[in-house]
This record gives sequence, structure tokens and C-alpha cells, in this order.
Amino acid sequence: MADIPLPPGYDAARAAEAQRAFERVLGADQVFFEDLDRDSYKDKFYVDPAAHHPLGAVAPESVEEVQAVVRVANQLQLPLWPISRGKNLGYGGSAPLLAGSVVLDMSRMKKIEFDEQMGTVVVEPGVGFYDLYDFIKANDLPYWMSTPGNSWGSVMGNALDRGMGYTPFGEHAKNIIGLEVVLPSGELVRTGMGAFEDAPTWQNYAYGFGPGWDQMFVQSNFGVVTKMGMWLMPAPEVQLSLSIEWDRPEDLKNIVDALAPLRRERVMASHSSIGNWLRFASTLTTRDQWTDKPGALSEDVIDAIRKQFGIGWGGLSIAVPGREDVAKAQYAIIKAAVEKSGPSSIREASWKQGEPIRGDGWAGTPITFPMQNSNWYGGRGGHIGFSPIIEQDGSKALAQFQRTYARYQEFGMDYQGSFVFGERHMINVNAMLFSQDDPEHLGKVDRFFRQLVADAKEQGYGEYRTHLDYMDLVAGSYDFNGGALRRLNETIKDALDPNGIIAPGKSGIWPSRLRGERKA
Amino acid sequence: MRKALFITAALALALGAAACSQVEEGEGGAPAAGPAPMPEPVTLSDRPDATGGEALYVVKCLMCHGANGMGQGLLARRVDQPDLELRGDLTADYVITAARQGIGNMPAIPRGEVSDADMQAIADYLAAGPHEAAAGGAS
Repeated sequence: MADIPLPPGYDAARAAEAQRAFERVLGADQVFFEDLDRDSYKDKFYVDPAAHHPLGAVAPESVEEVQAVVRVANQLQLPLWPISRGKNLGYGGSAPLLAGSVVLDMSRMKKIEFDEQMGTVVVEPGVGFYDLYDFIKANDLPYWMSTPGNSWGSVMGNALDRGMGYTPFGEHAKNIIGLEVVLPSGELVRTGMGAFEDAPTWQNYAYGFGPGWDQMFVQSNFGVVTKMGMWLMPAPEVQLSLSIEWDRPEDLKNIVDALAPLRRERVMASHSSIGNWLRFASTLTTRDQWTDKPGALSEDVIDAIRKQFGIGWGGLSIAVPGREDVAKAQYAIIKAAVEKSGPSSIREASWKQGEPIRGDGWAGTPITFPMQNSNWYGGRGGHIGFSPIIEQDGSKALAQFQRTYARYQEFGMDYQGSFVFGERHMINVNAMLFSQDDPEHLGKVDRFFRQLVADAKEQGYGEYRTHLDYMDLVAGSYDFNGGALRRLNETIKDALDPNGIIAPGKSGIWPSRLRGERKA
Repeated sequence: MRKALFITAALALALGAAACSQVEEGEGGAPAAGPAPMPEPVTLSDRPDATGGEALYVVKCLMCHGANGMGQGLLARRVDQPDLELRGDLTADYVITAARQGIGNMPAIPRGEVSDADMQAIADYLAAGPHEAAAGGAS
């Protein structure tokens, strides 16, 4: 029993009491406190294998059971870590930030309510991208999802962590419209028009009357979201697309400056992502197929990768879905801008309704194979990402790339970076692939990540989303007026959750009784 | 070779570089033709006759062990037959142990997500293989 992870203030006897209390409200078949359970909820893509171990897990199957779990946790002052499906790999997966927390696993809650006329859906936490995809297909609904590169996870969980897809609906947190939330007290609340009893417009108008609270429950620990409304993209008449490559890393500037105005005008609406040569090699091959040398990949290896896959130093795809006449006009403008930016190649494609659809993220089809990059080093591996928000400006993007690439060289890490076009910003996603069979490599990842945070901070850049290990670090970088935002967040936290039971430490927000757990 | 080419095309799209063949320009500046489309993932509505352990396998496992799946791709590096439904050498105990503990780069599947009863049904189904008619999502 000595090895069981316990939350602050707990001993083994009190943990056993908590297990029994959960079994009384859920039944023993929905309560998991064995060693195997603790192992299975750990972070698969860990950087620190000793961190974030749960005490156990519970799996409610209804909103009422979630409320019952929350009430038990309140009585026992026991931290819960809500997950929807727990597939947030690279950010912590199913593991809690605070060791000894009980995972509140809602993967069994899988209800889907679809409004075919309006193209809106209400999902419970356990609805995965493949579940919703199957629902749309089975019912022949004329809508497309937006899916992330790893689509194993939950539609709701991904949106609540500000996950991204590729289509014009690719900023998933923006698609949220109406939430149902179990507050830390156990009370059930609905946001927006959902606050109006039996309103038929819950998923049609975001705000209701008075303050709008949807975004308050995004990346927060102010409640447990049990239903989420979302808008889907009507299936387009056509989709026109092009892929470009360029030869020199410096060409990044021209590409960004060519496309950024079109993004701001919404002529280009897709969430296109500029990537480099490793995006192919890391997923299709293992590192030992290219070199046996440690340190960052050398120029001759980069050349060999580019030659094998027929790609440039960087590349980008753009898709234009919509009505045929409109899409053709938008596409022509985008293509002309791209041609002026000096790409080494342009490849084009088109699709129209009635033709077989492409099974990829550009058509909102779920995929999981990009996670094959966890095998880059040939054994057990994983990745985390450092992803600051930067200006939508070519010179700034190039400078950010050059600073970061130099750090990859310095730390001997293989560079996999991308620049995603938001509407008025870019997300610079820097993936760090690592081997879990090499402790020295793992140790380096931590130092490297902290260096990138410090470098970005000097430019005024902060991350949009991060792994459990770095939530306090990143939250601390948001330091206007001595960290006023964190004080606001924690004032709200203490008001809503005086016992500090919901996801303590999530996004750097700690309840008062556990504030001493905050890391530097 | 066919599989390797397919995976290359799929990868390029997912990572932001649409794998499209050079095509002639059509009316209005739009491309006139596109590449052969990639297969869509197989989900339960594609296999309406599936029941019991087979249906559970489709719903719980095929996103990784079918077309465009991580498990399918990584197993293809190590074994001759990466499609678990076409394997004749799996035992139920092995399937349960691999799923519950994780194996290689496959994360563990917790009991909250797949109950013991459902896991047993999936394992029994795979242990009764090969299921030649099913052919999973590998097509």
C-alpha cells in the first residue's frame, strides 16, 4: 500500500474509504482502484515517468452519476481529474496533474443528438471523432467534421483543450455553442440559451442573456462539462486544393506574407499548416533508417529525406471547400498569390460531390496514423510540443523559426516544426520527439522545453496549450500586472470550488488549500 | 508495396501536404482532376452484420488497427500480418494483456473505457481468428 499515490492529506485508510464511497454510488464495476488501473491511466507519452500517477478511477455513465461522484469528492476533499476519453496524447493523456487524484473517466457517456436542419450536434464526453463520423455516415447527414491529426480522442475533450483541425471549422473551441456543466458543488447548469428551460435554440445562439460562460469552461477547472453543443460545416459542393513545396528555409517569409492577407480576408479559410521534411520521415520511417549518429540530423540526412519523399525544406497544403462558383473564385486568388511567393512546386487537386471522398483530415475524416511518429527512435517513445502564438507576419515567423531551429541544433534534437494559420495569428508548433528507452534523452527534453519557453517569453510569445509538466511554467509566463489573470482565475476557482476538488493545477489554476503544490 | 504507397499518400495529407498528382488546369482556374482518393476508415455502419466481440472490436479498436491507423502502420513494421482480424495466432490472454498493459507504442486501454466483459468478448473474437471475411479496415 505504501506505493499507492495519495493526494495531499490522505493515507491508505482514507483512500480505501473513498473507494468504498464511490462504490456505494456507482457500483463496484465502475470503480477502479487496482494497480493495473493506476498503471493504465498514466501518461503514455511521459517525460517524467514518476509524475502524475492517479490513485484510481471512476467511470460514471450518466450526468446524475457525475453529480454523485462530485458530491462524494466534496465530502472527502478528494481531487478529481475529469477526462472525456483520455487520448490527449502529448499533453498528459488520461493522467492527472496532481498525483493521487482520482480520474473521472467519462468515456462511457456517448450520447449524440443531431439537428440535421441546423447542422448542430450535442455530444457527451465519451463521443469520439470516430463515433461521430460513424453517426454522420450511418444517417447520411450532409455535414463534415473537423478532425485533429490524432482523432482517437473525444470531440468534446479536444474542443475544450482548444484542439485544431484543418477545415474552415478547424478552431474547435470556436465551434462550441452551449454547454452543460456539473459545478464543483454538484449543481447542474446550462450555458447560453440552455439556461432557458426547453429552449429550441440552445445550439443556435451562443450567448443567451447576460454573461456568456462557454469559454469559461475551456482549459479550466471550474466544472465538469457533461454536454457540449457544436456547429458542423455543411458538406461542400466542391473542394479545390493545392500543395506547395519550397527549397530554402528562408522562403518561409514569402509564403507567410503571401497568404496572411488572404487569411485575414477569409478568402483562405482552411487552417493550413506549414511543415518541414521531418513530418514525412518521422511517421513513415524510423531514425536508424537514416543515420546512426546522435544529435540533430545533419544536412546530408535532411537532403536524403527530401530526395526520397520528393519534398522541399518546407511545404503547405490549402483546401477551399464550398459552393463551386465561390470556391473557384477563391481558389484562383489563392493560387495566384502562391505562385508569386516562389514555390519550387505546386500540385493541385479537386473533388466534387458524388465523387469518392478523400479519407483524410481535409475532408474531416478521422485518422490516427500520425501518432506513428512516437516510433521515430525505434522503441517506446512519445512527443510533446511547444506551441507559442506568434504574429501573422513573414519576418516574425522566419525569426521565430531561426531562433528555434538553432536551439534544436544546440540541444541535438531532430526538428519538426510547423506554423499553423489562424485568422489573425499563427501557432508555431514545435514537436519534440523522444525515446522513452533513453533516460538521458528524456532529461534533455525537459531542459530543452524550458529553454524554448524562456526564448519565446523574450519575444512576448506565450503557449496556447501545454503538457501537464509545464502548466505552472506556462501560466507563470502570462504575467501582465504581476499575474493578474492568475489571481482572477484563482479567485473564481475558490468561489466555485472551495474544497478544491476539480482538476487542481489545471492550466496553472490551484485552489487555495493546494496552492503549495504549484511548481516553479 | 501497395500498402507502403497508400500510407505515403495518407500521411502527406494528414501532415499538411496534400499528396496530389500534377493535374491540368480546368475552367475558372480550378484544377480539372484530382488524385485517386484514399480509403475512408471502416466503422460500425460499414459492417452492420457485426455483433458481439466483432462489433466491439470495430468500435473500440479499428480506429488504430484499421486503415489509416497507427497500430496498423506500426505492426506492419514488425509482423507479416498487421490486421489483427486476419491473425490465427492470437490467444485471448495475450490480447487482454497487451491491451490492458499497453505494448510497444500502444497505450494501455483502461477498464473505464473498455469493461472487463467487453475486453473478454473482443479477445475471444480475435482468438477465434482468422476472420477472412471480415478483413478489418486493412482494405
